[in-house]
Amino acid sequence: MEPRSVPSSIGILLVGAGFIADVHSAAVAASSRAHLAGIVDADPGRAAAFARSHGAVPYTVDLAEALAWPNVDAVVVCTPNDTHRRIGAQVAAAGKHLLIEKPLATTLADARALAAEFAAAGRVLVAAHSHRHHAYGRAVKEAIEAGAVGRPRHARLAILGGWIWTGWDAWAADPVRSGGHALHNGVHVLDLVTWWLGGDPVRVFARGRRQTAAELRIYDYLEMVVEYADGAVSVCEMSRAHRPGSFGLRELLVTGTGGVIRQDWDGESSFLHTEGGTGLVPAAGGDGFTAQFESWLDAIGGAPSAMPVADAVRAVELGVAVEESIASGRPVAVGAAA
Amino acid sequence: MIRVYLEGSAGIGRQDHQNAMYRPAFAAHPAFELVTDKDKADVVSVAVALDRRAETIADAIRAGKHVLADKPLAATLAECEEIGRLAAERGVLVVPAHHQRFSPALRSAATAVRGGRVGLPWNVQCDFLVAGGDPAPTGELVNLALYPIDVVHAMLGLPVRRVHAVGDPDLVTLLVDHEHGVTSTILCGRIAELADVRSSGLAVHRYRVSGSHGVLAVDAAKPALRVSTAAGTTGRWTGPSTVDALLDVLAAGVRTGRAALGVADAVHAQRVVEAAQLSLDTGAPVPLESEN
Ligand SMILES: NC(=O)c1ccc[n+]([C@@H]2O[C@H](COP(=O)([O-])OP(=O)(O)OC[C@H]3O[C@@H](n4cnc5c(N)ncnc54)[C@H](O)[C@@H]3O)[C@@H](O)[C@H]2O)c1
Repeated sequence: MEPRSVPSSIGILLVGAGFIADVHSAAVAASSRAHLAGIVDADPGRAAAFARSHGAVPYTVDLAEALAWPNVDAVVVCTPNDTHRRIGAQVAAAGKHLLIEKPLATTLADARALAAEFAAAGRVLVAAHSHRHHAYGRAVKEAIEAGAVGRPRHARLAILGGWIWTGWDAWAADPVRSGGHALHNGVHVLDLVTWWLGGDPVRVFARGRRQTAAELRIYDYLEMVVEYADGAVSVCEMSRAHRPGSFGLRELLVTGTGGVIRQDWDGESSFLHTEGGTGLVPAAGGDGFTAQFESWLDAIGGAPSAMPVADAVRAVELGVAVEESIASGRPVAVGAAA
Repeated sequence: MIRVYLEGSAGIGRQDHQNAMYRPAFAAHPAFELVTDKDKADVVSVAVALDRRAETIADAIRAGKHVLADKPLAATLAECEEIGRLAAERGVLVVPAHHQRFSPALRSAATAVRGGRVGLPWNVQCDFLVAGGDPAPTGELVNLALYPIDVVHAMLGLPVRRVHAVGDPDLVTLLVDHEHGVTSTILCGRIAELADVRSSGLAVHRYRVSGSHGVLAVDAAKPALRVSTAAGTTGRWTGPSTVDALLDVLAAGVRTGRAALGVADAVHAQRVVEAAQLSLDTGAPVPLESEN
């Protein structure tokens, strides 16, 4: 991509002032190349409160109005998954760059449409697959690329938790609003592992459970198995179904022709032993939201994107295939094989 | 003393488990003595080539002998079932050498799971990776996979309803559906020689059992010491030998007429292995209606 001329400080419009907005606004605040230019939230109270606590920046409930503000150069979207398609289209039409929370969209057609609109507008579109920027995600990729274990043949990644969604009315637990758990959280793992392997996915086989409650409408436990064109396989687990509720575990194992890369559940933590039992104290500094934001700014400046749009579309395709495979009980072809 | 005759010193590829594992374990075990006259033996320890194994075991059974059989018990499911039928008819024990289930951490784990410590189990994840050594000419699905399949069976005790397999026979991922919607996933195979693992030793051997009320994470490489030297870091096993534990089971079986491990376990493992093979060939999950 050509180097692009960018303002000395890029004005960022943040859309959606909910749970994940804080880490994005912190990344904006930490950057020497950007500043927060305004807030949009459909809920006026939230928009006002967020704006007030972030330097009294302008706020509105009307995205079109905010996109017309003179100092808005780029947009960070942190709204529920089913809104991504429409909000993304508006941002593309306004000619702004976009960092949008994952999943890029909740259907493959919508993801492809967004990719096409940003390509046509000549603007940078990045989906926030934040795990690519977390320290562990990068370290595994670098080790594989350095040939540390030869050709990778198998990868396992499990991100398991016991914290269930806030209530029956949580949008994330609504399959229409979130796209289902494979689209909502599954895409994190599917994208990361596929990126590690450098693989071209050909088939997906998945099993899901509604473990916490029979009445759940999405699978709180997902096991997603991807086969790649070169014969490699990945086993990706994503869970909100584990017990106890305080349970949280991430573990990975990459098996290559020349060795294994492994990080166990305690691989980045200290142990805290107290009367209440033993807990983990994770090491500081591994979080990737700042790196993700800076990498997006680099891409706006013309550098190759660390999270190409095609990969974000592919993550949606894999997530959709996971839901299909669980429903049918059969492997589902993806990519060129589909 | 229980008298044991050692029959054969072959196996898959260049394996000689008879001399490497069973002979020294029998020789050291207080309940057994080795004899050279097969007619005088109570137990025949069979480690012949796989294509002759079923026939050799059947001959021993017909001669009224108990059998310790190298794994896999036989080359096919049909042969395993025939051995089971014959052993029941003649009232002798046949113990397949699924000794990994006697690994001390796994024995405790099976007891914990069967004792409800994780509530109702709903998923098991297993990694079983051997480093270095001779690759099995049959593929490791036939050679190694029965070990973790058997361990999961010992933990869950649930019939298998469906098997899907991906990868290849040397590094295979088994996706197993059990009764009651319980699932298990086994990654099994042989990888390159590693500096810190003895040749043909287990580089990764672990299980995660998720249940309605908790999670049990088992590292079967424990109990062990970590010994670090200029040459690297290795684990030094501090637990009892799994082969000794297998012989304890055989000895108790000979005395009581019942063994904690038998042909039914080999039939179970072989059924899953054959379904996995079919799944690898067809690319589709294979239902198993008959397992009970
Ligand atoms: N990368 C990660 O690790 C991570 C973690 C959590 C959430 N997320 C993603 O971030 C996004 C937001 O999740 P959250 O947990 O912060 O949700 P949230 O419900 O806490 O916040 C969403 C906010 O968006 C507002 N909103 C809803 N519809 C809107 C619209 N059409 N226009 C403007 N504002 C609107 C809501 O009022 C709310 O304030 C989702 O896409 C989610 O998948 C990513």
